[in-house]
Amino acid sequence: METPTLLGLYRDMWLIRAFEQGLEREFEKGNVPGMLHTGLGQEATQAALAWHLEATDTFFPDHRCHGINALAQQRHGGNGERIMAELFGKATGVCSGKGGSLHSADPAVGNFGDNAVEGSYMATVLGVALAAKMRGQRRVACAIIGDGTVGRGEFHESLNMAAIWDLPVLYACINNGYAISMPVGEGHASADIVDMVQGYGFECRQVDGNDVVEAWTAVGSAVEHIRSGAGPCFLEFKTWRWQGIFAGEFRPEAEVKYWKEERDPIMLGAEALGERGVDHAELDSIELGARDVIEEWIEFALESPAPDPDKATADVYVGWEVSSR
Amino acid sequence: MTAADTARPARKARTPRKPRDRVRKASFTQALNNALDLAMDKHAEMFLIGEDIAEMGGDFGVTKGLLAKYGPERVRDTPLSEAAIIGTCAGAAMVGMRPVAEIMFADFIAECYDQVVNNVAKLHYMFDGQFKAPLVIRTACGGGFGGGPHHSQSVEGWFLNVPGIVIVAPSNPIDAKGLLLASIDSDDPVLFLEHKALYRSRAEVPPEYYTTPLGAAAVAREGADVTVVAAMRMVPMALEAAERAAADGVSVEVVDLRTIRPYDAATVLASAAKTGRVVVANEAPRIGGLGAELSARISEECFAELRGPVVRVDGLDAPIPFSVPLEDIVLPGTDDIAAAISSAAQY
Repeated sequence: METPTLLGLYRDMWLIRAFEQGLEREFEKGNVPGMLHTGLGQEATQAALAWHLEATDTFFPDHRCHGINALAQQRHGGNGERIMAELFGKATGVCSGKGGSLHSADPAVGNFGDNAVEGSYMATVLGVALAAKMRGQRRVACAIIGDGTVGRGEFHESLNMAAIWDLPVLYACINNGYAISMPVGEGHASADIVDMVQGYGFECRQVDGNDVVEAWTAVGSAVEHIRSGAGPCFLEFKTWRWQGIFAGEFRPEAEVKYWKEERDPIMLGAEALGERGVDHAELDSIELGARDVIEEWIEFALESPAPDPDKATADVYVGWEVSSR
Repeated sequence: MTAADTARPARKARTPRKPRDRVRKASFTQALNNALDLAMDKHAEMFLIGEDIAEMGGDFGVTKGLLAKYGPERVRDTPLSEAAIIGTCAGAAMVGMRPVAEIMFADFIAECYDQVVNNVAKLHYMFDGQFKAPLVIRTACGGGFGGGPHHSQSVEGWFLNVPGIVIVAPSNPIDAKGLLLASIDSDDPVLFLEHKALYRSRAEVPPEYYTTPLGAAAVAREGADVTVVAAMRMVPMALEAAERAAADGVSVEVVDLRTIRPYDAATVLASAAKTGRVVVANEAPRIGGLGAELSARISEECFAELRGPVVRVDGLDAPIPFSVPLEDIVLPGTDDIAAAISSAAQY
């Protein structure tokens, strides 16, 4: 990897972290309605995925993917602040505030939206991939899922159908160790998801999800493999989420300390850049730059108006109006 | 005739064809098959997907012959993966395809209920109109043939409370074709209910491409004293009950809903207001079903015109048993509709 690429990924990781930390702060202040799931700790995987997906590809983000959504906007000519505004439920959001954190989509940048019934888009991704295949388009359809989704029937239906039809699907499984409170090894037949996927017979790899270089390289070769028409590919990113559960931290102190202090993907990225001779001042300015951008986005979201009341009943059907009260 | 024809030696005289042979009646199944054929020809972005629909032509033969004509890319067999079938349709529709799925029996929709309710029905709304879901889910519903608890249910009630989905429910072959073509043309997702007892019903179905509008009921029989609102198999039953009532001097109007959601309230309410006596007939269990919605709406909006309470004919509040005599007890029939008409006519 060239140093400018690593610097770019480092910048992207900081954008994600600043986004999520800014969002946490605003959530605590009561400015963000609903629920909050952050991608803190998973920045390396998210930055790697966002880097390689083109606007003409498709991705289905999971509930911790605000960062990927924002990066897709930045890379493909959208506005990152519209992702922030969506989380605040504002008119300027990508879905005019109707979707929120769990349903932010912007097809213009390839973002086909989360489905808050975790993993339901394991089925939806098949259709996007099938359409691309039928039309002869070399496009990647990517489903970004957590380890919890492995328990869903649609997870297995999807892998099976992608295999028999050789569909251009990239399965990006972000194994952060827990499905809410259930440890991955207790909830599934194996704590290593790839063990369960291998039987479907297509390309399948486990990746260190906290090493941005390894993650970026793995996504790059998977995307190339899929674009060449070689069928689906499954990547399992081993990582760890910083956010606990709604009531707080529930994991052993030593585990929390290990992942936050020794395996922080941003810290690891800084070390790699340091070894290449990038100085601290440059790294610091990247962090500050990201924080400034996020403060602007939060300001934009706070100042944006609520959606027009007509939006409450707009677009229920294409062919019928639904009367308002 | 050309000169060449006249030059041939005279053949033995044949029995002339009967005129009715030229307008051969088509079955409900054939009408649907013809509609799919015409639509596949019209829409390059359309494909068929489901279990055993390709070589086998579907459990009821609705997709017969289409594999040979359109090939395996567009007539696609799947494993037993209902959620993946509907998910595939949703994803393909999001990028502008026009898929038509077959779920072999409506009861199996429970397997993909999440896809239909949480994904397909909400795609257009929750992403602020950025996606459309122009897909059709065809499925065989209804009882009356000893199919037992998992092959006989009427599922419209499962979806009545779901904004965003269109529920189409034809009662005869002519409407079946026109409504299916309209459903495929529609940019909204359609749950297309095919009552199994109707598959063999026959009618003179026009061979050309035509559509029957969605969201529009039909007055299947005009009458002055009692209105029966029905859909699918309840319509022929209501027409038979109306015939019996006519012999007793009661004039019955039968409204065929054709689309169950969004339903044609204007036609229903106009008929209710005209006769003042209403029966709503529905094969599914009574509680929380189509009959409950129609009864409530008619009572709310036609209170001044009603001469008596709206009478509901429904299935009993029980699963559908296998044994045919038991099934006959659970499901409503012509006698039940006739009794309901007599009851309504007393007021």
